[in-house]
Amino acid sequence: MNVQWWCSARDIPWAWSWQAYPGVWIAVVALGAAYARWSRPLAGSASHAFAASTGRRVGGWIGVALVWAALDWPGGPLGTGYLASVHAAQFLALAMVAPPLLLRGIDGDHIRTLLARNGVAAKIITAVTTPLFAMLAFTIVMLSTHAPGVVDTLMRSQLGAFALDLAWFLSGLAFWWPVVIDVPLRERFGPPMRMLYLFAGTQAHLYLSMWLLLAEFPAYGIYELAPRVTGLSALEDQQVAGGLLLTIGGTYVLAVISVLFFRWFAEPQPEG
Amino acid sequence: MNISPRSSLGTACILLFATFILAGCGISAESGGRAYRGAVLTKPVARPSFTLTDTHGQPFDFRAQTDDTVTLLFFGYLNCPDVCPVHLTNIATVMRGLPYDVTGKVRVVFVTTDPARDTPEKLEAWLSNFDPSFIGLRGTPEQVKAIEKSVGVAPAVAGAPDSAGAYEVGHAAQVIAFTRDDSAHVVYPFGTRQADWAHDLPLLAKVK
Repeated sequence: MNVQWWCSARDIPWAWSWQAYPGVWIAVVALGAAYARWSRPLAGSASHAFAASTGRRVGGWIGVALVWAALDWPGGPLGTGYLASVHAAQFLALAMVAPPLLLRGIDGDHIRTLLARNGVAAKIITAVTTPLFAMLAFTIVMLSTHAPGVVDTLMRSQLGAFALDLAWFLSGLAFWWPVVIDVPLRERFGPPMRMLYLFAGTQAHLYLSMWLLLAEFPAYGIYELAPRVTGLSALEDQQVAGGLLLTIGGTYVLAVISVLFFRWFAEPQPEG
Repeated sequence: MNISPRSSLGTACILLFATFILAGCGISAESGGRAYRGAVLTKPVARPSFTLTDTHGQPFDFRAQTDDTVTLLFFGYLNCPDVCPVHLTNIATVMRGLPYDVTGKVRVVFVTTDPARDTPEKLEAWLSNFDPSFIGLRGTPEQVKAIEKSVGVAPAVAGAPDSAGAYEVGHAAQVIAFTRDDSAHVVYPFGTRQADWAHDLPLLAKVK
């Protein structure tokens, strides 16, 4: 059996034969264990005022499952070495959908306790989830990790592909944190600012998807020179990738902004 | 001017990032100074004279029937899992987007290195999937080896068959581009991108 630690491009014809990726399993088990611990109500908390609802906790497990599906066979190897469209779907799963699902499922008392200790972890979280920093970091990661030279270089090694997946996931967590989690308290970052933040933070996403849709030639050598898996040409596959980012990603962000708007609209306004 | 270590590090990071971006755009120092993006031969290869059989069973005189054209000569086989379909797809895709004053001068000639399995009918159908204008030729292994030798590429070697009788054929991965001066000055190894073909085919068509 041919075992790789993490999915990477291998320049061999695609076969629908299962491959083991132990690094992916370890990462997903670690994520699942961390999420199980953090989604459980904090022992000793009297009020459980910030406990996540059952629906949110289930949503978090869907997030874990999404991470697993994005990284393991067949999605992982297809996205790293064969199809730009699957690569785009991986990006949506790892950076756009799984992070907010996981963050919503975390018990709020855990986060408040961690931040109240003011240790190193609290300082890092406070710094990287500052909206301006998180938005810039997410945009830079999104653009740089879709640059053809970066993709063609990183995807050829397991460590490179791992670094890219990790960058997407971590930047996604940082980006979604200020939208989903209320602490550290940022008084000026209310619902209108959150909507604006989401809109501004995903503009690069729009640019990227249009670039993929309108490019005259395939942008990524790794997908252009890979043996074909589907009947689509490399350029058509790239256009599907751009379409996925634009339609699924764009619709998703618009839906989240709409939810934030209607919740804000329904909030009782302070009497003045 | 004093440059602090921190600002030097910042500059280095910006340069590194710019290098990645530029590399992705295909703007590299290596490709910038050359006219062709293919591999330029130090010694041009003369257009060979040989006659093989085309997919309609007719003799095909390579030198006479490709005279005054840009001829992309490639050796491969139908069951090739990677190199052949990628090369042919990329050439066909680019040719569809080029003007007729370029594509009208270009012939793509595919010589099978696996005549035992690549029957004329299969070869015709397979090449038509890429572009109906692609020419498929068959000959005996000895004939093909002699042609490969004459154009300076390694002769194809069939691998050992597996339990089902299937086998792979190791073959040269480069496309040899003969121009209208009856010489090949450039070859295109595996890894040649569509953007490279789109850049080079009009240049090749201009060579007299």
